[in-house]
Amino acid sequence: MSALLSQRWARVAIGLVVPALFLGWWQAQATGGASALAFAPLDSIAATFVELAGNGSLLADMLATLSRSLSGLLVGGTLGIAIGVAMAVWRPLDRVLGPALQAIRQVPMIGWLPLVGLWFGTGQGAELIVVCLSAFFPVLLSTYEGVAHVERRYLEVGRIYGFTPLQRFRLILFPAAMPLILTGMTQGLAFAWIASIATEIVMGAGSGLGVTMQLAQTQQRMDVILVAIIVTAAIGFAINHLFLRLRRHLLRWQAAPL
Amino acid sequence: MTLEARNRPVPHGVPSGLGALSVSDLNKNFVIGGAPRPVLENINLTVKPGEFVSIVGASGCGKSTLLRLIVGLDADYSGDIRLDGERVATTSLDRGIVFQDHRLFPWMTLEQNIELALLNTDTPKARRAQIVAEHIALVNLQGFEKAYPHQLSGGMAQRAAIARALVTEPKVLLLDEPLGALDALTRVHVQNELQRIWMAQRSTMLMVTHDVEEALYLGDRVVVMAPNPGRIRRIVEVDLPHPRDRAAPLLHRLKDEILAELTAAPAAPANLVRLPGREER
Repeated sequence: MSALLSQRWARVAIGLVVPALFLGWWQAQATGGASALAFAPLDSIAATFVELAGNGSLLADMLATLSRSLSGLLVGGTLGIAIGVAMAVWRPLDRVLGPALQAIRQVPMIGWLPLVGLWFGTGQGAELIVVCLSAFFPVLLSTYEGVAHVERRYLEVGRIYGFTPLQRFRLILFPAAMPLILTGMTQGLAFAWIASIATEIVMGAGSGLGVTMQLAQTQQRMDVILVAIIVTAAIGFAINHLFLRLRRHLLRWQAAPL
Repeated sequence: MTLEARNRPVPHGVPSGLGALSVSDLNKNFVIGGAPRPVLENINLTVKPGEFVSIVGASGCGKSTLLRLIVGLDADYSGDIRLDGERVATTSLDRGIVFQDHRLFPWMTLEQNIELALLNTDTPKARRAQIVAEHIALVNLQGFEKAYPHQLSGGMAQRAAIARALVTEPKVLLLDEPLGALDALTRVHVQNELQRIWMAQRSTMLMVTHDVEEALYLGDRVVVMAPNPGRIRRIVEVDLPHPRDRAAPLLHRLKDEILAELTAAPAAPANLVRLPGREER
């Protein structure tokens, strides 16, 4: 088994076993029996996929949701890193902001929707604000943890060699906190992706996979919903994978995990 | 109490500004549970420029604390620490240190780790790479310039740390049990390297160790400390030229003497008793 797992194709094949079994069961349900109405047969899903991909609406949805997630991650993540670093290196700011942020963080992303809706309406701007908020907190908290807990022995090396505050940040605090910052970014990415789909479903502004799902629900288009779900899963999987590779590259100085 | 008169001026014939270290009437307390507890009491020590002085003593005798004070990481003491007449208040590129843990930055290559020591020196940028390369050669690590610390063995990382400390050409190099974490064979090897480097550079070195044999093999003088509170018990002259022969009868005689003194003390902790048995090989 372990010898087999060392082969890349074997790992991929093993990962596909459960989805394949699931699809087989699905097809059996959809083509016969009393519950057939609640399922869409695989061939109709495939046909819908081809149709949506062909008229460009699927691509437009994908791009809309992706760009919403990534710009949310960019804005929320950048703010999270900036404020997290500032709080970690400057205690007074931590005292002032820390308790408030810890409390606000307890409100789940969905909980912001009514307030954001009242303040900013239910347009695309409001959607982006919720996505930014979702990405912001995990990045903020990990960055803070990472920078605040840099080992003193490394900081002492900086003192010995007369580092300026900027050198201390650039050469010690930031790289030492990098593993945790990246963990926060990975979480932030997942949250941003989830928040994008969720706000699209709830607010329905612009285009996006969530908007399409919502629309398909009102039109009772089971096949369209399923295509959107499958595409959502595939893209989420792919960007997470890309992000892990980026992380591995940035942290190549760490000993390889066993 | 000490062989050296306190605050003795730098001896004639030796140019000043070369790393004459003087510690006088040094006292240091830690506050434990609200009450001050002395860790160093009345330390007086003068190290001549270019001299290698070893400090031995049981754990808890404050020898590492002494080095932290001298290097300037802790300025909370009473008394006087001076390097070439100037009082030590904070860290300075004049005073280098090698810690027991190598403290290389894991996110930098060996080369980058050594080069960072030069960041705030007035060494011209164009020469830095060459100086780094020379120091990597000095500690025999050619070929590992691009290696990250986790790719180096313990002995290699410690040698890299020594190179980083030497690259700024400090007037005095402090060594805080630099070989304590190494296995016996690597240790002997790095001791030889250290002796070779010191003979080549002739900078002032002050090394803390709990290995009496190591202290005697490398030191021109060995300061024997007593614990609770840390104080200087005795300073032993090791009147042998470098490079030294480990089998020299004088070294063995002095070792027995110092060990007897350290273990006979009523305050000596139990963990010191194992030393003689281990050294007998």
